Amino acid sequence: MISGYRRNEIIGHNCRFLQADDRDQPERAILAESISKGVECKVEIRNYRKNGDLFWNELFMAPVRDEKGAISHFIGVQNDVTERKKTEHDLRQQKLLMEQKIVERTSALKESEAFLTSIIETMREGLLVLDPNFVVLSANYHFLRTFKVNLEDTLGKNLYALGNNQWDIPQLKELLVKILPTNNPVVDFEVEHDFPHIGKKLMLLNAYRVELEGQFKDQILLAIEDITEKREIERRKDDFLSIASHELKTPLTTIKGFMQVLERSVPKDASEKFLSTLSKVSTNVDRLNNLIGELLDVSKIQTGNITLHKANFDFDKMVMDAVDAMQASTNTHKIIVQGKTNAVVEADESHIIQVLNNLLSNAVKYAPEGGNILIEINNVSEYVKLSVKDDGLGMNAEDAKRVFERFYRSSEIQKHFPGMGIGLYICDQIIKNHKGTLWVESEKGKGSTFSFTLPKGGSDDE
Amino acid sequence: MNRKKILICDDDAGIMDLMEIILDEQGYHVIAEMDSLKVKLLIEKECPDLVVLDLWMPVLSGDMILQTIRGMPTFKNLPVVAVSASNDGRKIAMAAGATAFVAKPFDIDHLLEVIARPLDYC
Repeated sequence: MISGYRRNEIIGHNCRFLQADDRDQPERAILAESISKGVECKVEIRNYRKNGDLFWNELFMAPVRDEKGAISHFIGVQNDVTERKKTEHDLRQQKLLMEQKIVERTSALKESEAFLTSIIETMREGLLVLDPNFVVLSANYHFLRTFKVNLEDTLGKNLYALGNNQWDIPQLKELLVKILPTNNPVVDFEVEHDFPHIGKKLMLLNAYRVELEGQFKDQILLAIEDITEKREIERRKDDFLSIASHELKTPLTTIKGFMQVLERSVPKDASEKFLSTLSKVSTNVDRLNNLIGELLDVSKIQTGNITLHKANFDFDKMVMDAVDAMQASTNTHKIIVQGKTNAVVEADESHIIQVLNNLLSNAVKYAPEGGNILIEINNVSEYVKLSVKDDGLGMNAEDAKRVFERFYRSSEIQKHFPGMGIGLYICDQIIKNHKGTLWVESEKGKGSTFSFTLPKGGSDDE
Repeated sequence: MNRKKILICDDDAGIMDLMEIILDEQGYHVIAEMDSLKVKLLIEKECPDLVVLDLWMPVLSGDMILQTIRGMPTFKNLPVVAVSASNDGRKIAMAAGATAFVAKPFDIDHLLEVIARPLDYC
């Protein structure tokens, strides 16, 4: 029935016809051996139905003995296990596939781990991984190099015990014990410490505690940047700039003073040319003085060393005074003030005056044809707002976007109006330091409007 | 009229020259000294009505001289106008006990005004 043969096609035939031409199956040897030894056996052998279809035959064969114990014949029980065989085969295939995938994944993981390790080892910042009890699990090359230690003396040790307790730093403990658990991650925490062998180091610490559930939970990543040298370079640059500015200002004082002496002693019959020459020299001495001051400002802004001396002042009066002073120095432009704030502002008045003067002198400078400069002041909720509008050259969108960048000069502007490109950068930084905003609206050929807002109450970061 | 005596001290010859000219023009009696170490003795000897003192000088800085002056009972109220081209000049001058501070480069009218102010009260 299984085989599709009829009874009379089977009885009296050797059952080998069931294997058709598939004669090399090792199971046949097992069958032959069982027959010769007269023992039972069980094989799974490929058989073929009458129509040629393969089926897996689970053949159980056992000898049948007569009364004397001699083998009279063998009995075979056949069972079609094609389905099971197929399932087994599929399973094996699946397993193979899985194994192959695992090999691939493992190698990808290894690659990725090697990649991460190479990143960690290459970066120029010390990195420690600590367990929740501050025992060092790993330390990268830069850490070892910066702090002149080797891996054996570092791994598995408590952070505070490293190198004769040289990491037992109160500020660091505070960071790891108090700040990190409540304020995860900790960004740019500055620590200064005098190490016994390598000397005083200024370090910037960034720390992160792994919150993710799993084997890495509560491990601590501690990145240590050595900024000792960087800070020293900044300090030297500041020193250099302040010395340079002092040295430049000294002869400038003499030039300016003697210019004034000259102006006082101008003969009554002096020519127009003489007077205008004198006034031009004087203007440029002041310009030079401003440039020196600005350079110093830029350096201070860059190193974050600007100190704000905040006090309450009358905003409208400050504006009027600055406008009067500027109006006195130009007769080609008319400066008109519109609006009123009646506000008392808490800010560094000298800085705000510096911004306003810069915006006003730009308005004069970039409207060489003369004309009106319109100043509008008003209140915008908790802020005062001031706009300076000129009918000057204006600028294209690209320039408007970049005009507050340090040393940015539009190439076209630079041809006609040389400058260093730091005035508006300083203005922007000053307004930012006061938590206000400075922006420009402009169209080429139609003038520009520079506006800033300033919080009346001052910023609350002091 | 009794001419007021002003002692000026700055390590820069150009500035000394300038100040001598403008103060002299105003009718002051000017004593000029470029050596910071001699200032204290000169004050004791000349008893000036006012001192114009540069802050940034070699050997003895202006603020050190100023502190010395303030420690001398006779001169603890002597008007001293500090001048400097350094940015933190005002802070240093006031901390050391200056009567007034003028930043370099100065406007000479402003400097003369600051000098005249304490002298008017004398």
